[in-house]
Amino acid sequence: MKKKLVAVLMTAAMTATMLTGCGGDKAAETADTTTSTATDEAADAAEDNAADAGESAEATGEAVTLKIFSNLPDRKNGQGLVEQMIIDEYMAENPNVTIEVEALDEEAYKTKFKAYSMDGMPDVVSIWGQPAFLDEVLEAGVLAELNEADYADYGFIAGSLEGFKKDGKLYGLPRNTDIQIIYYNQKMFEDNGWEVPATYEDFMTLCTTIKDAGITPIAMDGGDGWPMACFLTDLLVKVAGTDYADIVSNAIATGDFSAPEIKQATQLLVNAADAGAFQTGYDTQDYGTAQNLFTNGQAAMFVMGSWECSMALNEDIPEEIRTNIRAFTLPPMADGKGGANDIAAWNGGGYAVSANSEIKEEAIKFLNYMYQPDKLSKYGWENGVGMSAQDQSPFMTGNETELQKQVVDILKNATSVSGTPINDCGPSAFKTTIESEIQSVSNGTESIDDFLAAIGAACK
Amino acid sequence: MRKMYSNKLVIFSLVLPGLLVFLFAILAPICLSVYYGFTDYSGMGKATWIGFENYKTLAHDTKFFTSLKNSFLLAVGFICIQHPIAIIVAAILDKLQGKAEGFFRCVYFIPNVISVAIIAYLWKFIYNPDFGLLNNVLKAFGYQGQINWLSADNAIWAVLIVLIWHGFGWGMLIYYTGIKNIDPVLYEAAAIDGSDSKTTFLRITLPLMKPVIQVNVTMAIISALKQMETVYLLTNGGPGDRTQFAANYLYQQAFKAFKYGYGNAIGVVFIIICLVVTVLLNNVIFRQEEV
Repeated sequence: MKKKLVAVLMTAAMTATMLTGCGGDKAAETADTTTSTATDEAADAAEDNAADAGESAEATGEAVTLKIFSNLPDRKNGQGLVEQMIIDEYMAENPNVTIEVEALDEEAYKTKFKAYSMDGMPDVVSIWGQPAFLDEVLEAGVLAELNEADYADYGFIAGSLEGFKKDGKLYGLPRNTDIQIIYYNQKMFEDNGWEVPATYEDFMTLCTTIKDAGITPIAMDGGDGWPMACFLTDLLVKVAGTDYADIVSNAIATGDFSAPEIKQATQLLVNAADAGAFQTGYDTQDYGTAQNLFTNGQAAMFVMGSWECSMALNEDIPEEIRTNIRAFTLPPMADGKGGANDIAAWNGGGYAVSANSEIKEEAIKFLNYMYQPDKLSKYGWENGVGMSAQDQSPFMTGNETELQKQVVDILKNATSVSGTPINDCGPSAFKTTIESEIQSVSNGTESIDDFLAAIGAACK
Repeated sequence: MRKMYSNKLVIFSLVLPGLLVFLFAILAPICLSVYYGFTDYSGMGKATWIGFENYKTLAHDTKFFTSLKNSFLLAVGFICIQHPIAIIVAAILDKLQGKAEGFFRCVYFIPNVISVAIIAYLWKFIYNPDFGLLNNVLKAFGYQGQINWLSADNAIWAVLIVLIWHGFGWGMLIYYTGIKNIDPVLYEAAAIDGSDSKTTFLRITLPLMKPVIQVNVTMAIISALKQMETVYLLTNGGPGDRTQFAANYLYQQAFKAFKYGYGNAIGVVFIIICLVVTVLLNNVIFRQEEV
C-alpha cells in the first residue's frame, strides 16, 4: 500500500515537472512569435519606407544591435511608454538596427550603472544632469562627448543643457523640465469652501483648517527623503528668491550650511510637520502610499514634481478625483525674497551615449532621433507626462487636461527657476545624508543645528 | 574503488571544483574587500590608497554604532524572545500528534516561505496609521486615536517584531526535528516514574536539545548581524537612522553614497565582529556549560 502511494506520488511529481517544462516551452514559443511578428512588422514598415523615400542603402545596412539602459521599467505607461514608442519607430525605420532595452527602477538602475561603468556600458543610457549623479560619472570618463552645435535647432529651453556639461563640454541631453508642484483636490476644496492660498501664511492656516476637518492636509512621501528635500528646496526658493542657487552652491563648497536662509527654510519645514500638515507616519511612508492617500481622496494635497501631471489621465484613479486634480506652486512669504513666480524647477533626467560604445555613431544617431522635437517632446506631451526640456508650444492641441494647462502656465509665467534641488547639488554622500537626516529634523528627533552640521559634514 | 580514492590525481580532481569556488567566489572577494577598505574607491574610476583613513572615520561614525547596536538588539531579541518561544512551540507540536501537528507545523512555517519583499510590504500595510490593520483593529475596540507604529520611538520595536516573527518558523522547525530525534523510550521511562510534562521538558527535552540549541543560536546571531533585506524594504533605516542595521548601512554607504572604499571598510569590521561573536559563543559560553 505504502509503495503504491509513493509510486503514485512520484508519477504525479514527474507529470507536474513535465507539464511545467511544456508550459515553459509554450511561453518561450509565444515570446518568440511576438518578437518575430514585431520584427516582421518592422521589416514591412521599413520596406515601405525604403520604397517611399529611397533609403535602400539604410535598409540593407549592416545589422547593428543597440543596447539601451533605461530607468523606466514601466513600458506601458507615462515616460516609459514614450521611450518605447520612439524605440519601436526607430527600429521600423532602420530595419538593420535591433534595439535591446534593459530597464530598472531608479535605485537599482544607479547601482547597476556603476557596475556597468567598470566593465562596459550599454550604448545609450539614462542619466541625471545633477552633480550628485553626474560628477562621479564624468570623472570616470564613461560618457561620450556630444557636439553642442548639433542641437542648435532642437528647441532646447535656454539653460536646460547646463547641468549636462563639464568644462564647457556637453555629455548628455535633458529629457524633462520638472517643477515642484502642490497638487490639490479641487472638488474637495470647493465642497469645504477652502481656497487656494495666496501667501505661505494662508497656506499654513489652510493646512490647520483641513486637519481640523479630519482630513490629511498634505500627502508627503517622507520615507524616500528626496521629495521632502524638494519641498525644502521650494521653501528655500521662497525664502531666498533668486539667491537660492548661490546660497546652496556656496554651502556645499564650504560645508557650512549655517546661512540664515537655509536655517529659516528648515525651520518652516519643521513647523509644517509640527502643525500636522503631513499625514501621520509620513517619515516612513513611500511614494505609492503617499500618492494613494491623495488619489483615494484621503488627503487634500500632494507635494510632488510636475511629472505626476499624468495622474489626470491615469484611469486607475477614480474619475471624480482624476478629473479634479489641480495644481499650484508654493505661495510666497511675507518676509521672503521669492515671489509667486520664482519657482522651484530643474532639468533632471536625460540621456547620454557611452564613451566606449563600439557603435558610437549609431548610438548618437539614435539619441538625436529621440530628441527630434516631434519625438520625445511631442509624444511626452500627448501622453501627459509633463514638461520636456524642449519647446512644446507647437504641440498644444487645446485638448490638454486642465492640469497640463495649469502647469504650462506656471512655467510660462515663471520669472525665475531655481535649478537643481538641494539634495542633488552635492556629492552622493551629501545626497544620502540629507535624505536621511531630513526625516530626523522634520519629526523632531534632531535639532535644526545638528541637521545643518550633519549635512555640512557630508560635503567634506 | 578504494584504490581509485587513493590516487592523488583523482582526489585532486574531486576537490578542485570546490576549492576553485572557494578561492574565486569567497576568498578572492574577501581579499579584494580588504584591499578596497584601504582606498577611497567610489565604485568608478581610480582607487587611491589612503591607509587606515576609512577605519579612523569609522571609529567616529555614530551612525555605524547605532546600526551595530540595533543589529545586536535584534540578536538579543532572537535569543531571548524568538528561540524560547520556538522551543516551547516545537515541544507542544510534538505532543499534539496527528493532523493538528502537521497543520500547525505548516502554519508556523508559512512566513518563511513567503518572499521577503511581500513580508515587508505586508507589514508596511499592517502598520500604516491611516488604513493599516493594527489601527483598524484598535478602532473596532473603540480606540479613537491614530497610532504611528513606525514613529521615531516605536519604529525599532515594530521592525524587531517583524523580524522575530519572520524568522520564527526556521528556528521552530529545527527544534522540532531535534525533539523528534529524542528517543521516545526516555519519555516512557519518565512517565512510568511519574514525571509531569514540565519536568519532562526541563529534564529530558532541553538537555538533549543542547547541540541543536547551540547551532540554532549561532545561526540566529549571524542572521541578526547580517539582517538587511527586510529592513531595507520596510523602513530603509528610517525615520532618520532609528532602524538602521549594520548590513543595510554598509549597503547605503557603498552603493548609494558611492563610498565604495568606506563600505568595504565597514564590511571588513563587520566580518571581524561576526567571527569574534561566533568564536566567543562556541568556545566560551557553550563550552563552559559542558564543564
